[in-house]
Amino acid sequence: MSTVIAEGVIRVTNNCKACDHCTTICPTGAINGLLGQKHHIDPRLCVNCGQCLINCPFGAISDASSVDLVRQALNDSNKMVVVQEAPAVRVALGEEFGLAPGTNVKSQMYAALRKLGFDRVYDTEFTADLTIMEEGTELIHRVFNALGVEGFESSGPLPQFTSCCPAWIKYAEDKYPLILPHISSAKSPQQMFGPVAKTYGAEKLQADPADMIVVSVMPCTAKKYECDRQEMIASGFKDVDYVITTRELAEMIKADGIDFLNLADEDADKFIGLSTGAATIFGATGGVMEAALRTAYEILSEETLDKVEFEAVRGLAPVREATVEIPVKALGSRLPVHVCVVTGLKHVDSVIEDVLAGRSKYHFIEVMNCPGGCINGGGQPIRRDTY
Amino acid sequence: MGIFKEKEGFTRRQFLKGSAILAVTVVVTGVFAKFGVDIYKASDDYIAERAQGLYTLDESMAIRRSHKNPEIAQIYQEFLSPGGVNPVSEKAHHLLHTRYGKDIPALIEELEHHDENHAA
Repeated sequence: MSTVIAEGVIRVTNNCKACDHCTTICPTGAINGLLGQKHHIDPRLCVNCGQCLINCPFGAISDASSVDLVRQALNDSNKMVVVQEAPAVRVALGEEFGLAPGTNVKSQMYAALRKLGFDRVYDTEFTADLTIMEEGTELIHRVFNALGVEGFESSGPLPQFTSCCPAWIKYAEDKYPLILPHISSAKSPQQMFGPVAKTYGAEKLQADPADMIVVSVMPCTAKKYECDRQEMIASGFKDVDYVITTRELAEMIKADGIDFLNLADEDADKFIGLSTGAATIFGATGGVMEAALRTAYEILSEETLDKVEFEAVRGLAPVREATVEIPVKALGSRLPVHVCVVTGLKHVDSVIEDVLAGRSKYHFIEVMNCPGGCINGGGQPIRRDTY
Repeated sequence: MGIFKEKEGFTRRQFLKGSAILAVTVVVTGVFAKFGVDIYKASDDYIAERAQGLYTLDESMAIRRSHKNPEIAQIYQEFLSPGGVNPVSEKAHHLLHTRYGKDIPALIEELEHHDENHAA
């Protein structure tokens, strides 16, 4: 099945100066155009990552916007509008208000969202933790199956790839269908939040899920594509209604004249809003891996880690690998777990080909499309000062 | 005739002209190279700074492991796997897992008829 939704979410505008910079940035070679002519994007190849958009020196590339639809929902008193925000948003949103990159504005972000009129402010970090529970358990089952432990025969093959990045998923579906059984069946945190909010969340709020609107604030343009995927209807409704980017949230805050920097600190709402440090680091490359290792180690060993940091999977190198020895209590032996982290789709092909050829020694592989992870996503503040 | 014959080698004027061109070229190239290096460095800097922002926030959090999140325990016990914390339960599988590529049409079919199947 083709994963192309209409024309994709990334568009080249008439401001294109045909400088060709984007064609060197694009991870899939989706952009083409003759010298001196406006470039165009092939939606079959485009993974909607928006790297071309944030790197265009002329600001000539734009993304489809749902801001008007979000405003409409906020103004409709019959709708219960709830919002989730990805980890990477909170350390970049401040840049739109003059703060240095990396400044944590989580508490002001919650406050600003309430001022904008959202009825409940939750956090994607809650479902990032849920992702670790589901994806981590799936990984443990796959490892047990590979070791021949009884009762796990229906588990998929090793290595397991992460499934959080919608650009990576589309790339794999389009280019490497044979690798799909290796990708975790767990949804991304954004797409876990939608059905959780419209079932469990609706119960807690005593709301009719038909009247609920789930909005995401994401550092990512591919998330706009992901929420429109036709299978994302597990709640019986469209799971996530609209996605806006970090940039679009900043525009909404400015348009409403909210004094962002002087907002009082607020917390997320309860039941599906509490987050942990493990979920926070999802926004950086290697973060999903590190969060998964923290949980897998403690659950398998039944011990508590003195030091939760796994420095070996951190950093900005495109491909990093590490081996973590986990004393597995149920097996009574130490299991060396080989992991790999890939950031930038341009570097994933050789890793996939090793897996398909049976040469890969890894158990778990994290793949994120954008160099550096979601913090450098296509929906993040644009650093024009670097040009 | 000899008075019109040019001297062998460089004149002082030619030498100054040559070295001036060389000096300007070196300076201009250097400035552009510095500009390029700055762009490259700057673009990596903000990525590293945002990442550091997340790691610093992680260190400041009271809970740093996903399985220790009390709301996670609560959603499993009350909703996803009533009575216990059992990931990949039937309900978790229905709501939180998906399929890819050619398996999607069948998944959509199942999801559209999920309520009927469970009522039956």
